[in-house]
Amino acid sequence: MIERVHSIGRGAFRLLRRPFSRAFDSEQNPLNYLGALTVFFLWIILVSGIWLLIFFRTSVSAAFDSVEYLTREQWYLGGVMRSLHRYASDAAIITILLHVIKEFVFDRYRSVRWFNWVTGIPLIWIVFPLGITGYWLVWDELAQYVAISSAELIDRIPIFTDSMAGNFLSDDVLSDRFFTLMAFLHLIGLPIFLVFGIWLHVFRLSGPRINPPRRMMAAALLCMLVLSAVFPAVSHEKANLAMTPQVLRLDWFYLHVYPLIQMWSPGWVWALLIGVSSVIVIAPWAPPAKKILPAVVDLGNCNGCRRCVDDCPFGAVEMVPRTDGLNYSHQASVSSNLCVSCGLCVGACPTATPFRSRSALIPGIDMPDRSAADIREDIIRHGARQSGSTHVLVFACDGDQQAEILRRAGVDVVTLNCMGHLQPSYIDFVLSRRYTDGVLLLGCQDGNCNYRYGALWTEQRVGRQRDPRLRKRTDTGRIALGWMSPWSEHADVVKKYEAFRDKVQRDHPVGETVEPAL
Amino acid sequence: MRLFREIFAYALFAAIVGLLSVWPRYALVDAEEAIISLSFSHAGKRVGECRTLSQEELNELPPNMRKPTDCPRERHPVRVELRSGDDLLYKDLLAPSGIWADGKANVYCRIVVPAGIHEIFVGMNDGVIEDGFAFQNQASVDIRPGRNLVIHFDEQSQQFLFQ
Repeated sequence: MIERVHSIGRGAFRLLRRPFSRAFDSEQNPLNYLGALTVFFLWIILVSGIWLLIFFRTSVSAAFDSVEYLTREQWYLGGVMRSLHRYASDAAIITILLHVIKEFVFDRYRSVRWFNWVTGIPLIWIVFPLGITGYWLVWDELAQYVAISSAELIDRIPIFTDSMAGNFLSDDVLSDRFFTLMAFLHLIGLPIFLVFGIWLHVFRLSGPRINPPRRMMAAALLCMLVLSAVFPAVSHEKANLAMTPQVLRLDWFYLHVYPLIQMWSPGWVWALLIGVSSVIVIAPWAPPAKKILPAVVDLGNCNGCRRCVDDCPFGAVEMVPRTDGLNYSHQASVSSNLCVSCGLCVGACPTATPFRSRSALIPGIDMPDRSAADIREDIIRHGARQSGSTHVLVFACDGDQQAEILRRAGVDVVTLNCMGHLQPSYIDFVLSRRYTDGVLLLGCQDGNCNYRYGALWTEQRVGRQRDPRLRKRTDTGRIALGWMSPWSEHADVVKKYEAFRDKVQRDHPVGETVEPAL
Repeated sequence: MRLFREIFAYALFAAIVGLLSVWPRYALVDAEEAIISLSFSHAGKRVGECRTLSQEELNELPPNMRKPTDCPRERHPVRVELRSGDDLLYKDLLAPSGIWADGKANVYCRIVVPAGIHEIFVGMNDGVIEDGFAFQNQASVDIRPGRNLVIHFDEQSQQFLFQ
């Protein structure tokens, strides 16, 4: 059932992704930086909010006038800041929503990744009140509607003896203290919880991507600035509690639930909000359970080089004092609570080399469900099958749809837990031992890697920028990094494969000598 | 070409943000409608009579607890009815608040009505009287379109006020 939901969601996301892939390089694709973009929008909100705070006056009589001054009199700066504040807040809702959907449909929320998922839910519960209290402070007709409806919602919580909504019956009974309270929540209380919540959300990740690339930040800021200039945010009429606003320009990003308060009842709206939140919170434990087999360390082959520690994107490997008496100070240790079974540690391990012939291929760290020896066996089996024509061997992430298309087209595909699972010496191995003429690495794009850094580490290892590096003797002209998103242009993958095979055939005719292994 | 696509993508994003931040518009009430807000808090009468303690009983109590009367905490629910002419707009039996049912009963409701002249009647019973109301008020009120007519019970004057 849940796999079916993921599959439908992936299909929908694929449709969304297609035009994005045509418009952006993977490094500049906003869909690869949804969480980081949200943080960037929060920076815009913070900076613009500080400017608004300088001129804002927290009282019933002066709040509206101070916002009007910013919007009308100081339109060139205050008005732009107000619009930026509002539109960046709205944009953040879009990026948050897409971020949540993406993590869900690509199944990055279950098993050991539950923590990041669950700690994201309070952030949503903080962001919405943050936006709603912001609308309240303007004290126009929309604020009046928001205040009354929010009070009706809060009154439904059965712990208050007096009605909060009763404070908004007339201008005479409304107190400035309400504005002080709202200003405190909007300016200090909720932002503090938000910052702490973001820290909690990412602190288990190794090297979390907090900021998007500079060019993307500049583009997003320019985008918001142009919108603010062309379509500045303005207030409704000043709030008047003796009258009821008739038609409102509702901000649907934040206030979409509010019409339901009138259409249903506050009780049903609470039921909806709590119900949806509860479903999201328990989603990681919904059956069927996702089985993860963590990496295992073989002390006899671990020399404590700590490359696995450096490359693990989830902080699941750490160095601990040696326990087996060998002449190394430390050894790798895997935390099964954090390991997502991506295999990036194996790709980083210098002992995971297929050239080993004197002893069995047991690296210092290995995956129980897809061992380094299994991968070598697969390579040898595919190599034995190849005919006299040019042969290109594909290494692909497990479950990659493009790899499946290639496999159905008769292409030899060796699957890995993640592209970063591939230790570079395997590429040298297949080429120097002439198991193949070319190697196509079919991984996810950088930002879309299911395990965060699989494609990036591979790119750097093959580019000889990161240990373990591809040997210098290996002809990189025979290697293609097929960083095609697994969600776009599926029909092209066979053509791309054929184009690369033709290139290899052209540049390296069959029979050409390949430098033998040493 | 890719740059133009990129610019178009950001422009589309901005358009979606700008559009959904104000549109579609939401009609809270129609142009010829108004709101009647009924809101007040009132404590019902206690369910039993207060009993005057004898001097002997008072002597048995600690000095700081020697109240001359012993009253039951629980209060009656409050019955409220709001009508416009023959139309019943609101009717409820409001339970007292608090886990001992000794607090005030609260009512807050907003009712959409057509604008125009309304013969408003509001009544409240806070005791055991089955028929009739202990407090009531009636008035002919011209409610303009969009107006928010507030009806509340003033504890000081012990009467319903229309504002």
